[in-house]
Amino acid sequence: MAMKKARRQSTDAGLNITSMMDMMTIILVFLLKSYSTSDVSVAPSDQLQLPTSSAIKPPELAVNLVVARNRIVVDGVPVVDLTVVPDEEHPGESMVAVPEDEKRGQVITKLYDRLVEKAEAAKTLAEQSGSEEHAFKGRILIQADKELPFAVLREVMYTAGQAQFGEFKFVVYKAG
Amino acid sequence: MHRRPHSAESPELNLVPVMNLVTILIPFLLMAAEFVSLAVIDSTLPAIGPPQPVEEEPDKPPLNLSLAITESGITVLGADSVLFPEGAPPVAEGETRPPTVPCKSGDKCTGVDDYDWEELTRILGLIKDEYPDDENVILVPDQRIKYEVIVKAMDYSREDREHKGPDGEPRLLFPFVVIAGGAIN
Repeated sequence: MAMKKARRQSTDAGLNITSMMDMMTIILVFLLKSYSTSDVSVAPSDQLQLPTSSAIKPPELAVNLVVARNRIVVDGVPVVDLTVVPDEEHPGESMVAVPEDEKRGQVITKLYDRLVEKAEAAKTLAEQSGSEEHAFKGRILIQADKELPFAVLREVMYTAGQAQFGEFKFVVYKAG
Repeated sequence: MHRRPHSAESPELNLVPVMNLVTILIPFLLMAAEFVSLAVIDSTLPAIGPPQPVEEEPDKPPLNLSLAITESGITVLGADSVLFPEGAPPVAEGETRPPTVPCKSGDKCTGVDDYDWEELTRILGLIKDEYPDDENVILVPDQRIKYEVIVKAMDYSREDREHKGPDGEPRLLFPFVVIAGGAIN
């Protein structure tokens, strides 16, 4: 009686998962191939589309400055919202700009304050670790939208320069 | 005789634990998968400080190559001895020199691809022939030049992809790009 029952169970377990296993194995290999341990992550959106370049240098870890079309973000925290102003030289067209009340001369004040904080934190960390490898070098990763006018970019670069970040690394998509 | 029915009835290999493992691995790997590959372009701010003493060769003034990017094209500055061996053409007072590399479609560039990048690379190649040791170029973009155009200019002044060097790599032109603040109005 017991033997009969066992036999019936084994014939009833009819779900054949071998083909699913095949599929999963292929997906697994594909995903393993595209596995990345990159330090830099990009969240593309309508407002942030990086340009494509033939550069091949891999990105490294640094302060992450994102200049999208609507705002400036430092290490994931929004700092300044950008506005759209009419283009003086081309009537009818508009361009992205930093609001006048966010600026002091060429410096974007809130961004400057945030970057100075970041620089101070990085320097403290460098002192504590004491090793040459972690010394503060003023590296900053800039992810900027490809449609941004140079005027905005220049103000951002100038502000970063004032906050002791002088080594820019422009993040781009690798072509091909 | 006794064994044969036994082996026929032996259960199939139980794949369920393997399935469990794979099912857990797939979401994890999906999260870590990289579908676009990133790269970085290095650039520095122009250094502030006393100018470095340069050992000048008397017959060869140092190259101070700049590319002015405007909406009407790209002007190569600082290399007149290569561009105009017979002396620069006269420019009427109050007028600016026409761009060295004008737009393909005429007076005003309509987009990134309207700039004549191949011509720019060719001219920079000529300059590199004259100054093989120089590696710096300064970009001076106009206010409303798009970031995309600046990146493209950096690409085409960094290397010449048409002409491979002896090692099969693209020929390096001016890999150290500095972006100038532009003219302050």
